[in-house]
Amino acid sequence: MTTPILQLAGVSAGYGPVRVLHDLDLEVLPGERIGLVGLNGHGKTTLLSTVVGLTGWQDGSILFEGEEIGGRRTHGVGRRTPHIVRLGISLAPQGDAIFPGLSVQDNLDSGAYSGASWRRRRQRRDYVLDVFPPLRPLLHQSAGTLSGGERRMVSVGRALMGEARLYLVDEPSLGLAPKISLGLVAALCEIDLGDGAMVIAEQNLPLLEGKVDRVLGMHAGELKLDVGEALGDVPPATGGVGAWG
Amino acid sequence: MLDVVFSGLVLSSVYGLVAIGISLTWASIGMLNLAQGFIFTAGGYSAYLFSQVAADRGVSGPALSIGTVVAGMLGAAVFGLAVGGLAFLPLQDRDNFRTRSLIATLAISLIGTQVWLIIFGPQSKPLPQIFGDGVVQVGDASVTYGQLGGIVVAALTLAAVIMWMRSSRSGLQMRAMMMNPLGAAVVGVSVRTTGMRVLAISGALTGLSAVLLGQVFFVSPTSGVTPLTVGLIISLAGGLGSIPGTVVAAGLMGFAEAITARYLEQSYVPFVLFGLVVLILVFRPRGLGGLLEDVRE
Repeated sequence: MTTPILQLAGVSAGYGPVRVLHDLDLEVLPGERIGLVGLNGHGKTTLLSTVVGLTGWQDGSILFEGEEIGGRRTHGVGRRTPHIVRLGISLAPQGDAIFPGLSVQDNLDSGAYSGASWRRRRQRRDYVLDVFPPLRPLLHQSAGTLSGGERRMVSVGRALMGEARLYLVDEPSLGLAPKISLGLVAALCEIDLGDGAMVIAEQNLPLLEGKVDRVLGMHAGELKLDVGEALGDVPPATGGVGAWG
Repeated sequence: MLDVVFSGLVLSSVYGLVAIGISLTWASIGMLNLAQGFIFTAGGYSAYLFSQVAADRGVSGPALSIGTVVAGMLGAAVFGLAVGGLAFLPLQDRDNFRTRSLIATLAISLIGTQVWLIIFGPQSKPLPQIFGDGVVQVGDASVTYGQLGGIVVAALTLAAVIMWMRSSRSGLQMRAMMMNPLGAAVVGVSVRTTGMRVLAISGALTGLSAVLLGQVFFVSPTSGVTPLTVGLIISLAGGLGSIPGTVVAAGLMGFAEAITARYLEQSYVPFVLFGLVVLILVFRPRGLGGLLEDVRE
């Protein structure tokens, strides 16, 4: 059996007195693209944040390629994040935590900040611009002046800069026009992962239909494994997939 | 007339260096460093101690000058790191970090001043004239080498810092942290490492300004109070975190002080500076920075 890229066992996490994740187990195998669906406030974002150590507190084992990056932690938000990012986990956070005063190019480069990808950032940037062609003419523009869809591309593109083994993409479609979110998710699903993996958290199930290997449902901080069969009941997504408008 | 221009430039550059340190620290780690004045005197005393020891060993000329500057910057950087170790690292991920660190740095500043008083006594200590003793005639004004050198060195240092922040990897990391701490964390920037680096750089800039001001005023336990106050005024007026805004505000305040001191009286200087900053903040609550930089939010 192949070793999972990410293995969560009995993971709980939350903020202060609030417990968001309850004893959660999850395995992500190499080459897998997983959709994580669920309503607002059911822990999708918390789950992704826990993996990179950005929740208020956490408990339980998180193995990344065999190395323990979880464990019990009651404070120190983000203190281990640089180490985890360097190991090869890349998060595109909910909304877009881009740097508004920096140019698009600097924003993208910052994604290659840790690790060896800094030296290859030009090739890497080219690659990201091939995934998100609308960014190419905007390279020297300040990111704060972009539209919502362009900002999201910068945010996701920044996550792709780092040559990570595991990409965590949090709600890429949030707040975007349907046509733009379709294009963005389609672009994400076309990326060749090799033996890496990708987890896409998403509320809009039809966006992921047929494009991911597994769909996991999330409810009240617990995983409802494989809602894959339920997909048949969902109306198919409309609009031109891959069209950038 | 021209002499006002030169004293304005000297004051601008010296205060500007301190203000940029305060501004960078606030913008990147959210700590208003009230110990910056203490770090200023630390730089001054390091330079003084070095110059005493070096003079005893017969060092003179350029070696003494460069050594004094380096000692001042290094000493202040070390004390900047010490302030970080006491007020930043232990408090950084606790609740209310901003208030706690404000109180901690204020405490360091008060205690530090008393420690200087115990070690060095109340008398002012002179620094060597690092740019030599000469005077240049520019029009109707006579400008000392100290003033001229101060302006040039401060401007060059500032330019170097700006270049470094714009082009290097650690500079990118610092700018990223100023604009979006969450985004910076996500790409793997360590708040603690970067914060300490910022504190060391701010310290070194403050140390340089201590040596440059030491060409005009001697070093004493309380000589950091004015640079701290004016530095705070400038960084507020410039828009905390904005380097171009800080540079412009430093120019404004430096000239305001020079003109007031020349045509009114030195004792009016604080009134004028505080009046100016109130005026600026009434019309531009986020300081001058917003005028000069692209969208920030």
